[in-house]
Formats: sequence, C-alpha cells, structure tokens
Amino acid sequence: MDIIHSEHTHQESFISKYIFSRDHKMIAKQFMITGFTMGFIGIIMSVLFRLQLGWPGERFWINDLLLGSWANGGVIAPDKYLALVTMHGTIMVFFMLTAGLSGTFSNLLIPLQIGARDMASGFINMLSYWIFFISCIVMLVSLGVEGGAASAGWTIYPPLSALPEAIPGSGLGMTLWLVAMALFITSSLIGSLNYIVTIINLRTKGMTFTRLPLTIWSFLVTAILGVLSFPVLLSAVLLLVFDRSFGTSFYLSDIYIGGQALERFGGSPILFEHLFWFLGHPEVYIVLLPSLGITSEIVSTMSRKPIFGYKFMIGSILAIGGLSFIVWGHHMFVTGMNPFLGAVFTITTLLIAIPSAIKVFNYLTTLWRGNIIFSPAMLFSIGLISTFITGGLTGLILGDATLDINVHDTYFVVGHFHIVMGLSAVFGTFAGVYHWFPKMFGKMMNNTWGQIHFWITIVTAYGVFFPMHFLGLAGVPRRYYTNSTFPMFDDFVNLNEIISIFAIIAFLGQLIFLFNFLYSIFKGKKATQNPWNSNTLEWTTPVKHIHGNWPGEIPEVHRWPYDYNKPGYEEFIPQNIPLKEGEIESSH
Amino acid sequence: MLLLSAFLFILILFLITFFYLKGGDFKEMFKENPDDLKFDEQENRTQGWLFIAFGIGFLLFILFLIFKWGGSILPESGSVHGADVDSLMLITGVIISIVFVITHVLLFFFVFKYAFNKNRKPAFFTHNLKLELLWTALPAMVLVLLISIGLYNWNSIMKPLDDKDDKVLIEIYAKQFDWTARYAGNDGKLGRANIVLINNANFLGIDTTDVVSFDDKIVKNEFHIPVNKPVQFVFRAQDVMHSAYMPHFRAQMNCVPGLKTQFNFTPKYTTQEMRRITKNPDFDYMLLCNKICGMAHFAMKMKIVVESEEDYNKWLAINPTFR
Amino acid sequence: MENNLSISNYDFSENKKAQEPLLWIGLVSIIMFFAGLTSAVIVSSTSAAWKIFALPNTFWYSSAVIILSSITYQIGFSFIKKNNLKLPKILFISTLILGFAFIYFQYIGLTNLYQQGIYATGNQSTTSSSYFYALTVLHILHLFFGIISLGVVSTKSIMNKYNSNNYSGVKLSLTYWHFLGILWLYLFLFLSIMMSK
Repeated sequence: MDIIHSEHTHQESFISKYIFSRDHKMIAKQFMITGFTMGFIGIIMSVLFRLQLGWPGERFWINDLLLGSWANGGVIAPDKYLALVTMHGTIMVFFMLTAGLSGTFSNLLIPLQIGARDMASGFINMLSYWIFFISCIVMLVSLGVEGGAASAGWTIYPPLSALPEAIPGSGLGMTLWLVAMALFITSSLIGSLNYIVTIINLRTKGMTFTRLPLTIWSFLVTAILGVLSFPVLLSAVLLLVFDRSFGTSFYLSDIYIGGQALERFGGSPILFEHLFWFLGHPEVYIVLLPSLGITSEIVSTMSRKPIFGYKFMIGSILAIGGLSFIVWGHHMFVTGMNPFLGAVFTITTLLIAIPSAIKVFNYLTTLWRGNIIFSPAMLFSIGLISTFITGGLTGLILGDATLDINVHDTYFVVGHFHIVMGLSAVFGTFAGVYHWFPKMFGKMMNNTWGQIHFWITIVTAYGVFFPMHFLGLAGVPRRYYTNSTFPMFDDFVNLNEIISIFAIIAFLGQLIFLFNFLYSIFKGKKATQNPWNSNTLEWTTPVKHIHGNWPGEIPEVHRWPYDYNKPGYEEFIPQNIPLKEGEIESSH
Repeated sequence: MLLLSAFLFILILFLITFFYLKGGDFKEMFKENPDDLKFDEQENRTQGWLFIAFGIGFLLFILFLIFKWGGSILPESGSVHGADVDSLMLITGVIISIVFVITHVLLFFFVFKYAFNKNRKPAFFTHNLKLELLWTALPAMVLVLLISIGLYNWNSIMKPLDDKDDKVLIEIYAKQFDWTARYAGNDGKLGRANIVLINNANFLGIDTTDVVSFDDKIVKNEFHIPVNKPVQFVFRAQDVMHSAYMPHFRAQMNCVPGLKTQFNFTPKYTTQEMRRITKNPDFDYMLLCNKICGMAHFAMKMKIVVESEEDYNKWLAINPTFR
Repeated sequence: MENNLSISNYDFSENKKAQEPLLWIGLVSIIMFFAGLTSAVIVSSTSAAWKIFALPNTFWYSSAVIILSSITYQIGFSFIKKNNLKLPKILFISTLILGFAFIYFQYIGLTNLYQQGIYATGNQSTTSSSYFYALTVLHILHLFFGIISLGVVSTKSIMNKYNSNNYSGVKLSLTYWHFLGILWLYLFLFLSIMMSK
C-alpha cells in the first residue's frame, strides 16, 4: 500500500478512526473503556456476594433487580453464589487487570515513550482488541445461559468444571467460559507479540535499553511472561475442552457421580493444576508488573527526583519475571505432591521476597528528600507502595509450605492476593489513568475529586481486605456461601458485616471516579503539552492526537528519563534535550 | 443494618469535611486545577497530614481488630506437629510485623516530611551500591532463617508413618456433600475399593471379596481418635476434588478422585481438655471441606472427637464391622 | 533504532522490519504451547493406566515427506536469492504437494490406528491414545497456516512477484515451514518414546 500520509491530508473515516482503528492511542482507549466496563461488572458482582456474606439469608431488592432468577426472593442461590465468585475472579484477573491494565497502558505508552510512530503491526494490534472484545461478549453471554455461568472458581479445577453433573454451572456456562478464555488468550498473545517486537525493534535513535523508562521495562517483561505462559494455559484449556466435549480422560479418573461410575481412567486433576498454575503464577506478575512500572515513573516525576537505583529496579523486574516461572507449585502444597518438590517450591517462592524488597526500599529512597506533589496519580502510587508491602509480607506465610498447610484456601489467601495483586494493580491502574489522562483525552481530571476518590478507596480497601487475615487465621475457608453451618465461626458475624459495609462504600467511591472521568472528558480543563513537567517522550507529542504521534521527525534521545533537579541544570530535562556542553550523562 | 447506616453516616461526614476543607464552596469542588503544576503548598501539606492521620488510623484499626477478634482465631494446636507450625507462624508473624511497621512509618513519614515546599531543592540521588546491596542481603539473610526452619518442619510433617509404628489408620472419604470415615480394624489394613462396585449399600465401593475389608468400620457424622497416638489418614474422593481441612490440628490435604493422598498427626489434647483451654464448653474439633466442590460446599462437615484410648476403644467396639 | 522517518512517508500499513521478529516470537509461543502438552504427556505417563501401543509405519513415511518438503522449499528459496525465477515455481509447487502428501499420510496413519482399535475418545480410549491423536491433529492445525502461506508464496512466485531484492515473504513462510517440520520430528520422536515405554 502506498498511501501517502501527511499531517493535514491524513483524513480518516469515522469507522477507521474510532472503530477499526490501527492507531495505538485509540486502541489503548478502546481497551480502557472495555476493560473498565468489565471491571465495573466484576465489582458489582463482588458487592452482591458480599451482601450475602455480610447478612446471610437476608433479602435484598437489589438481588432481585440485578440477578433475577439467580436470586429468587432476593436471596442468592448457593450455586449462583459460586457462579458470582467465579465470574468476579475471572473478570477481574483477566479482563480488567490483564487486558484493561496492560492493554491500555502498553498500547498507549510503548510507542510514545520509546519514540515510535505506532506499534510494529497496527493490524495485529487492532485484531488483538477485537478478539478481546468478542471474548468479553462471550463471557457476558455466559452469564445468561441455562444452568448459569461457570461456577467452579476462577481456577476451574476439574472434575468440578468438567462434569455438568457436579454443578449446574459446568454445563453450557462452562463451555462459553472456555471459549471466551481461548479467545482471550489469543488476543493477549498477539498483543504481547506486538509489544515485544515494538520495544525491541522500533526504539528511536539514542533510546538504548539503559535509557528506557521503567514503565517500558515492566511492559516488556510482562509481555514476555504472557508469551511464555499463556500458551500453556491454552493447552490446559484445550485438554479440558476435549474432556468435556469429546469424552477423553486427560483430567479424569475413577469418578462416580450422578449415580453412575464414569468410564474414564488414567487422567489426573493434578495435571490440570500444574498446567494452570504454570500460567497462573506468572499471570499474577502480568497483572502486577505494569502497575509497578507505572508507579516507578510517577513516584520519580512527582517527587521531582530521579528514581533511586534504576539498574537494580530493572534487575528486580527481570528477577521477579524469571522466578515467577519456577514457583507455581506453591499453589499446590496440599495436593499430596512429593514433599521434596514442596521444599523446592518453598525456596524458589520465598526468593521472590528479595527483588520485591529491593523495589520497596528503592521507592522509599526515591521519596526521601524529594519534593512531593500530591497529584491523584501520586496518591495512588503511594497507596500502591503501601499495599505492595502489606500484601507482599503475608506472602512469606503462604509461600512457606509448613505454614501454608493451615491457611491454604482460607480467607488469609483471599486477603493476601487481593491486597498484593488486586489492590496494587488497581491502584496502579488508577494512578496511570490520572497521570496519562491529559495524554489520552487532552483534558485534566479534577484534583479534588481525585483526592476524595483516593482516600475513600484506600480506607475502604484496607477495611475490606485487612480483616480477612483474621478470618483466615481462624480457619474460615474461602468460597463458603455462609459460615453459619459452623458454630466455630460465629464470632465473626459482625466482622463479616463490617467487611461488607466497607465493600459497599468502596463501590460507591468508584462512582466518584466514574463521574470525574466522564465529567473531565467533556468539561475538564484543557491540558497543556507537558502538565507534569515530565521527562519522557510522550509529553513531546502535541496535545491533539495525530496518527504517527510526532508531526515532524521523531525526537532523538540523549539521556535517561530521570533527570529531575540535576544539580547545576534545569528543574527537569526531557530525554530529547542533548547534553549541554560539559554535562556528564547521569550515571545510573 | 444499623452498622451500615452508621458507616454511611461517617462517609457523608467525610465528604462534608472535605467540602469545608475546600472553603465550604460547592463551586470550589469543581474548580479547575491551578495552572501551576505545584497546585498549592497548603494543599500538599494537607495531603501530607492526611497520610499521617491515615497511618495512625490504620494502626488503630489493626489494634481494634486484634483486641476484638484476636481472641477468636484458632486456639492452641490440638496436634503435636501443630506446635511447630504455630511457633514458625509466630516467628514469621513477628518478622513481618516489624518490617510492616518500619516500612510504613518510613513511607508515611517521608511523604509527610517531603510534601511540596517551594524552597526545597530535592536531592539528586541516583544510586548507591552499598545501600542497594544492603537491602538485597538483609532480606536474603532473614529468608535463610525462615526457609531452613520451614523446610525442617515441612519434611518432618509430611513424612509418612512407618508400617511398624503403633498407629490408627483411617480413610477419609469425600463425596458431594458429606464425609465418611473408615477404620482399618484389627488387622490394621484397609480393604480395596473400586468405583464400579459403588451402590447404595456400599457407597465406598469396597471390594467385598477382599478379606482385609471384613473388619473395616465405617462411620458417618463424627469420628473418634485417641489422644497421644499417631493417626495415619488416607484420603479419597468419589466425584470431584475436596480438601480435608482440620484447622485445629493444623492439618489439610486435598482429596482427589483417582488418587490416594495421606497425612498424619498425633492429637495432643482431648476434646474435653480443649474445651477447658478454649474456655468454650461447646468446643468441637471439626473436619471441613476446603476445596470448592459444588453447591453445598459450605455445609460439608464432620465432627472429630479426641478422647482417651480407653474411651476410644469403647466407642470403636460399638461400631459394627463392614461384614 | 534509526526510525527517524518523517511522518509524511511513513507507511502505517505494516512495518516490514518487524515481521521477522514477530514470527520468531510467535514461534516461541507455539513452542510453549506444545511444551505444555508434551509435559502433560510425561505427567500422565506415570499413571498405572498408561497403555502403550505400536505406531504404524506410515508415520515414518510422513516424516520423510516433511523433511523432503523442507529441502525443496529451501532450494527454491536459494534460487530466488540468486534471482533465478523459473525453478522456484516448480519447487514451491512441489513443496505444496508434499505438504498435502504429509497430511494424507498422517490421515492414513491415524486411520490405521483407529482400525487397530486405538481410539481417540470414548470409553475404549486411553489417555495415551487420546494424547497421540490430539497432538497429531494440533500439529496439522498449525500446518494449515503453513499451507496457506505456501499457497500465497507459490501464487506470487508464478506471478513473478519475487526477485533477489524482494523475498522477505518467502523467507517468513520458509522459516515457519522448517519450524513445522522440526516440530513434527520432535513430536514423532517424543511420542514414539512415550508410547513404547
């Protein structure tokens, strides 16, 4: 194709500009809107099942309204409770925090921050979004089918997920779940391919790997994790599809259900767990690393101070990424695995504490003697540092096989991963949205409402998830419809109520964000080109988007992105400013 | 519902406070951000203070939780190995609490101390190898400690009992949605089982031609074990995965269809002793299902009674043999 | 790293330079996909219910055919590089035919197995036979994309679209085709070992 593009003649129709766009900035927005919509649905689900947990058996009109036949008389049915839990997990982990977060910011920032006109392949990028979109639709449709949505937990362990006799949700709902996931994996894979190739091949002149912003480093490692781990999940999902639909027995053996013995022998459900968690654990970092990258960027910019220990930060991202592939067994300590393997996985798992600790201390040192400006993005970044510490520390308990025996699959786990991966990733997402909103929409978000949103979110988030550690230490298992069958948990009735109330308020707090977001798109203050006085390349592009990002030549890079308050020079020096005469490049 | 209203009230109070902080003018809430990147010094100072307030509030909240519900967590372990688990938990807990407090104090203090001030010149501090090596080495050292204690305990907990050992052999059988326990009987051996043999009368699918199975004893609803004697558990599942969770003994093992898993422990306190320890006359040891297994997952329970060996033998004698 | 093209002559449709790395990283993800499956085979083979069976000789023929096809494709490609445009047409077409022959032999091999009573699914199937069918078919699924690309290359070659300056499309297709060949040889070796132990 020999279309000649120039800044004034490049006219696009509505469809090619807003729907089937190949412009990474538009695709980023599409990912954001779709991902956040899914996230919103996921959060509503969590509020609904929190109502059941806080006030078991009580009738709520909202259940009637939103769930219909899933909650006859306003009380959620036990199997539909499991469906809600399953779909909440799936939607939040994959659709919101993988596609919504990585899809949005990788797409937006990779070409802008490395100095490229667009992604390596705009077509693949567009394809990635639309496959994701179809996957969302299939997942949402599965909510409405006969028997209800998938209800085997987001980890869909067979045989529960393989046999419709085991739970109603394992019928058509599960089939659609698997189809949606297969689509999602495809989307995620080709997206990741594109990110990696773009970062490796399309960096502008002077943009060496040691001058890359940490955001790009984290996106790169995230994409590599995706390329290596998602195919394995695809193979696990395929074998499950064969078991469900074609009568093979990869995961099934010696099962008697629904009044008859199945003629399935030789398979093992544990095999599925191995394959699933080989993805599942890197997936945690696929969710978390982009947030850490975003935070690194924002903490440095808003402290007006270079990030401390740039190279150690890169090293720890790589170490976390590498280790994440050899720790999956810590999800399976009580499956009867060989104790020797359990010991190996304990060691590898606890090793992750080292790079994590490096990151935390480097963040703290970056804040030290800075000049901190509390933009909402900075508030959320500080929140992320806090949740990353709080959640990460309890990982030392769960990663230790001995201690895991007793807290495995209890609310302790729920509290742990919601704080370390859920909250941290959500905080990173919010930080990113507040920070790059001017780049995406050319408008500023309102600070006051941003601050209110942050404070409500962090207070209620800790209010929801911190008490769960106490539930876990009391042995309360997760995914229980109600705790009332066990008198030993009666002490916690009030605590569950408090958690639910915090959850409701947390949800209301997100409405503030939604309002601020929409209000600012239309009525927000016009943004200047570089509102945060930041050094990275994306702020050298014009406020009004053009396909190709820079109207003229792509800027050349001469320095690392963290030259804030360099002694003897300007307050900040963007990456495209050449070294002054006699200036030595900041060593890092 | 009272609680909910109270909290909503607090939320509204919070919003009103913010409203007044902004000068009590509703328009002020929608005021556009100032042109200058640095907003305003006062505003940044307020946020700094809010972090201090949040830090203190967080601490108070944790103390409140400990005070109110700290006593409701699992009591002292009812098994011998559980004491080791608990002591490792304590060590880990103390270490992470210290790290948690130190890092959070630093975080909130830095954020407060270094809130924007137009006269301050931030330090240009890019890296320091010594510092970075320090906080690579420190956690590594702590980890060596935790890993070595953890692995020592793990290996001793997971070691199966010897055949020679004097022990009680019990099979725990999981199906949707109840538990069954099968005692090995006098010969100390469990009879073979196969799913194709399952019917209403023989829901464990025990091989009736296997001589070993004749003296097996099957019990439901509750099972008894003697104190101070090792108990070897074997787990099986009929339909989907379950997990046998006995939190008071610090014991858990998945029950997987087509696979036999095992766990063993030695009970330390009888139910009666535990009732005294917990000061709860209704205390009972419980077996829970801890792996999502279907609709009534939350209702799968079985009572465990720990008693003296004589009482146990008496109880066992009442129960009929399989054949 | 020197991408300082002015926006007015930047081709947004595709970035040619990125195609090869895109393919290579794509191959990595396919490797991971089959690595997942073959490690599943290893795990399952430890079960007592693992049944072994003999593979029909047809799979040796198909292996020979796929090696041959890689050779013809490679020779055709080297002629294109030397700007000899006639021979490649024949060589590409014969590669295509060999590709179809491979699929045919695979089909015959699987039918043979089926006639011996080794089924992919159902009550009489075992995990080992299911794995064998699944892996073979999944490889053929990947081969379809190779066939499509081969078809495109052959057509374009007949239309004289390639020459010594323009052969990147052939190179991509060729890389993928070699990959498929190696993948099959690996699977064949691996499965022969697993099905006989």
